[in-house]
Amino acid sequence: MLDAIYKILAFFTSDATADRWFEQIYDNFIKDDRWTWLMKGLWVTIRLTFFAFIFGFLLGLIIAIIRVSHDKRVVMPRQSFLQRLGGIILSILNTICKIYLNIIQGTPTIVQIMIIYFVILASSTNKIGVAILGFTINSSAYVAEIIRGGINGVDQGQMEAGRSLGFGYIPTMIFIIIPQALKSALPALCNELVVLLKETSVASMVALQDLLAAAMLIRGRTANAFLPLIAAAIIYFVIVSILRAVSARLERRLNSGDR
Amino acid sequence: MTDNKTPLIRVENLTKQFSTTTALDNISNNIYNGEVVVVIGPSGSGKSTFLRCLNLLEVPTDGRIYFEGTDITDPHNNINKHRQKMGMVFQQFNLFPHMTILRNLTIGPMKLLKKSKEEAEKKALELLDRVGLADRADSYPNQLSGGQKQRVAIVRALCMEPDVMLFDEPTSALDPEMVGEVLDVMKMLAKNNMTMVVVTHEMGFAREVGSRVIFMEKGKIIEENEPKEFFENPKSERLKNFLNVVL
Ligand SMILES: Nc1ncnc2c1ncn2[C@@H]1O[C@H](COP(=O)(O)OP(=O)(O)OP(=O)(O)O)[C@@H](O)[C@H]1O
Ligand SMILES: [Mg+2]
Repeated sequence: MLDAIYKILAFFTSDATADRWFEQIYDNFIKDDRWTWLMKGLWVTIRLTFFAFIFGFLLGLIIAIIRVSHDKRVVMPRQSFLQRLGGIILSILNTICKIYLNIIQGTPTIVQIMIIYFVILASSTNKIGVAILGFTINSSAYVAEIIRGGINGVDQGQMEAGRSLGFGYIPTMIFIIIPQALKSALPALCNELVVLLKETSVASMVALQDLLAAAMLIRGRTANAFLPLIAAAIIYFVIVSILRAVSARLERRLNSGDR
Repeated sequence: MTDNKTPLIRVENLTKQFSTTTALDNISNNIYNGEVVVVIGPSGSGKSTFLRCLNLLEVPTDGRIYFEGTDITDPHNNINKHRQKMGMVFQQFNLFPHMTILRNLTIGPMKLLKKSKEEAEKKALELLDRVGLADRADSYPNQLSGGQKQRVAIVRALCMEPDVMLFDEPTSALDPEMVGEVLDVMKMLAKNNMTMVVVTHEMGFAREVGSRVIFMEKGKIIEENEPKEFFENPKSERLKNFLNVVL
């Protein structure tokens, strides 16, 4: 820690002339168009985050619905064969989901990504595809719990109102419960997106050319760690800030609309 | 009204057991077309449970419920189809907060009755107008007063063109000055021969609009009669005591 502070101080307090500054910046970003490496890395990071979030969201939504449906299921004294079968299938799915959630939430992200990368899909050449899969799985577990909380927070009377109109369980979920659940879960979901964006930097550990990897690549060429890493940090920070601003606006708009 | 026709709803030996309590204890009753049945009784006597069993929001532990001749407690019958014909109005309104009033009213007819948007909206606006809320079609539920919300909730059920309307204490969550406007809508329905089952503490409504009043206690129907006899000439001691307290 002290060492790091010392290095940063040294960088600024050394008799770095304007010339040296320029030379450093030139070396790290302009020579060989190295700044485009960062941009390419950023593009990988954005794609990875985007697809992992979308797929993770969908998978998480399905898991949340399975968990809630199981927990709130009313067992009829008299059941048809199909209802009984449905109940058994739901129980099995629920157990699988619970185990899945426990494992994902109980192990480090980087270990999950490495297992998927080096063990399960070792032969795949589609690096970003593998990374998207890994982060989808990781993110889905957190999204599932967020959405489950949102669904449980919707007033019990909403389900009853939907059912009493004649909507089945699933249509009531889709038209009435889920929209309200997602609205209340929106801040947590946006936060998960930010966490995911930052966590994708772990992908650089499995040789994916994301933003962090691009910074490390520049460092390898210039033997200067400070500038490329600071550049990467600033880019992450800017993207996160934009996401935060967008989500805050979205929330405000949703809240002014109805409730 | 209570003629020899087949009842609209036939309740046979209905029992509902919650883990520790018996909310309904072997209840049998018939509800006929055009009747306004008012259910009264002390708190915890099973009134809500009885009402909610009629459309299976509460699943009976035992017994049969026939609606329009079909045993809806039979798991092979599609309860969703039957519920479309049984409107329900809740104490807490339960409007959908993320939809406009118009959308609240049309989502059922459009998705379930497969009505076109125009058709569903025309009907909804017509009914909204009849309860004096035509100008609130584009509002959201949170922009309405309690009385307005409940009138919308009634219209939402009516838009499905039900054969019976179930009310669970529709005025109990309202400020006193708004009770009247909701009761007025219910009276209008009764006048138009809507079959209604109403759980309420509004004795005036029971007396004026009810065609039959049921008194429940401890999960049983203790006494039932047409309103005049019911209120002026109660038979059982328990009903006498109850009326002494509430009237
Ligand atoms: N979901 C439930 N779980 C357990 N017990 C319940 C449940 N719902 C109702 N009960 C019990 O069943 C009995 C009947 O309740 P119910 O709500 O039908 O009474 P009620 O006549 O509607 O009373 P109130 O006038 O207070 O609304 C009560 O003892 C109540 O505690
Ligand atoms: Mg009640």
